[in-house]
Amino acid sequence: MTSKKELKLAYCLAIILLVVGVISYAAFPAKAPEEPVRVMYKGVAGKVLFDHKTHTAESGYGLSCTDCHHHPEDEEESLRACGDCHQIPAEGEAAPQACNECHEPDEIEDSEMTKRVDAFHSQCEECHKDSDIGPVEDDKRCSWCHFM
Amino acid sequence: MLNQKKLIVSHAPFCHDGSSISARSYHMMLAALPAVLIGIFQYGIPAVGVVSLSISFAMIWELAINKVTRRAISIGDGNAAVIGLLLAMLLPATSPWWLVITGTFVAVVIGKHIFGGIGGNPFNPVLIGLAILMVSWKDFFDFNEALVNYDLGFAMAYPLSVLKQLGPAGIVKYSMIDLLIGQQAGGIGATFGLGLILGGIYLIIRGFIRWEISVSFLAGVFFTALVFNLNNPANYASPLFHLLTGYTLIGAFFLASEDSSSPVNFISMLIYGASAGIMTVLIRNIGANVDGVVLAILLMNLINPLVDRIRPKALGKVV
Repeated sequence: MTSKKELKLAYCLAIILLVVGVISYAAFPAKAPEEPVRVMYKGVAGKVLFDHKTHTAESGYGLSCTDCHHHPEDEEESLRACGDCHQIPAEGEAAPQACNECHEPDEIEDSEMTKRVDAFHSQCEECHKDSDIGPVEDDKRCSWCHFM
Repeated sequence: MLNQKKLIVSHAPFCHDGSSISARSYHMMLAALPAVLIGIFQYGIPAVGVVSLSISFAMIWELAINKVTRRAISIGDGNAAVIGLLLAMLLPATSPWWLVITGTFVAVVIGKHIFGGIGGNPFNPVLIGLAILMVSWKDFFDFNEALVNYDLGFAMAYPLSVLKQLGPAGIVKYSMIDLLIGQQAGGIGATFGLGLILGGIYLIIRGFIRWEISVSFLAGVFFTALVFNLNNPANYASPLFHLLTGYTLIGAFFLASEDSSSPVNFISMLIYGASAGIMTVLIRNIGANVDGVVLAILLMNLINPLVDRIRPKALGKVV
């Protein structure tokens, strides 16, 4: 059995914290930064945590945006998620939606978009191997990046 | 010699020393405060939201179940608030509001009140709530994914995930001092090891938790990790790394020592704590889960009534 004073304290605590909690969630919703810090890619072979900041920062690998965001060149337009273009087109579509924003359908009807998985594998592995920080060819080759 | 009086109890009325469940609860919250404050300092307003909502909803669910079952209002004893606070400390700062509300409901209603309320729960209510959430929405408990937008100036990959993925070679970037002072990703109140240790020592000195459970749990983790590490240092991390990462310290001082779900006899407490510690490292090193504290303690909660049968022989009993 608790005293009236303790009960009053508990009611006050519950009400104050409820208000603080609701305000924190409602007024300050979590926003993703304009330039990602890290990106988590998910696939059937496990998740891959990509440290975007380490790749772009001068103290890190110091890559320029267009080293990876390669199309279209030198345009703000290119700074979009890789998966926007590197994806299988929707049913009935010849190309991913993002391509149609700039190109006419007949202009790109013969070109085939590299799938996201292939694009990442070639982009990540090539660069890492060139810099000698790539996956070592052993039985743990996949878990260098992939984590179940 | 045979007539030596060891315990003398005078007759009523007795004098009350002023201790109460509410004092215990508020002291536990006070002991947890340093770790929570560091979490809030690191993760900002989202952490405030999770902690506040968790404490308030744990109390609201307790009030609701009191009303539904027509029992005396028990939120005054602060136990629900402690459950809410500890649950929040284990959650990532980015937990959505419905996860917090569901977690507190499971912890307070299913973990505690279904078994008759405070003192009747066979499992730690906080861990019941957390385990259900982890099984149901495991992506929210992948700290690498949950904290993907945070850059706090230290290595933000969850240390236990890195260990699982890359082995000891991947964790050389974590210094033990950094891990101790909370420079690691994790639950809101589970990363600041120093604060948790100080809070735990305070609770032990004040007599709110039993040192036997906390110390044997940490010893269980340490020695099991040491055996693995000595056997194969290339595959298994050092014992100190296991002590300072994941939920180990909060588990030792705030979770394993929960009164209703842990034993009361000396030898039983040592077996219970050490077994939970051993299980934690077995799950981490051999099992599929990244951290084993939650399931290890829940498993040992299960054997609590059994180990508590190891008790001193009653005076005068022949067999």
